[in-house]
Amino acid sequence: MEKEIIIEQLKEIIKPYVQEKEAFEALTEHTDFINDLKINSANLVDVILDIEEKYDIVIDNESMERMLNVKAAIEIISTKLADKI
Amino acid sequence: MIGNDIVDLALAQKESNWQRKGFLDKIFTQKEQSLIKNAINSELMVWNLWTRKEAAYKIYNRETGIRAYIPLQLECFFETENQGTVGCNGFTYYTQTQISEEFIYTIAVTNKLHFDQINKINFETNILKKDGIPFISNTSSKLVKPVSITNHGRFWEGIVL
Repeated sequence: MEKEIIIEQLKEIIKPYVQEKEAFEALTEHTDFINDLKINSANLVDVILDIEEKYDIVIDNESMERMLNVKAAIEIISTKLADKI
Repeated sequence: MIGNDIVDLALAQKESNWQRKGFLDKIFTQKEQSLIKNAINSELMVWNLWTRKEAAYKIYNRETGIRAYIPLQLECFFETENQGTVGCNGFTYYTQTQISEEFIYTIAVTNKLHFDQINKINFETNILKKDGIPFISNTSSKLVKPVSITNHGRFWEGIVL
């Protein structure tokens, strides 16, 4: 799947948990979920569960450990989607 | 080293659905999940254990320089509802937890003796940051002291060692 499409879909997923609207509007690959978007660390679990549901993938513990920014999320989603085929 | 974490229980109820499928599995070990399941108030136990993990993680992050989302590696050893330890990759952190109707608040330390040496700081304190880690500096003595701050909903707590 195209990276741009994943970013758009990811934005939809994280939107309800974002507390920094400006950083969200200016989101790039380098945006950090916690430092920039101020997503509550307990809500990061919801982001991960929402991603699992949306793409029908399983995010293992090692992947979850890295799930702190947009770039890592895209990489993890792309890899897991490729593994499915 | 010190770490702290507070949860505003009313806000947590709005923000998080801990009963959501998969939620507990992602962040709590089987042992912790059985504490939650067997607790009189499971929701309070969720946030009690969560604040312990978060407070301990703040120390782990500062001491190792490792930044990662590792709630399962931060394992709570529950002694009482107000105290215990958290283990993480060979490190042990001691925790003290305060429970009220409105919040749950945990302080973690690397050395038990530090519990008595911790002071509260207030919101107006001039807190500096280096590499994202907060500290305060005494202008006359030039002494630098690490601080830990936490805020959630209605609550803000800062501590200094």
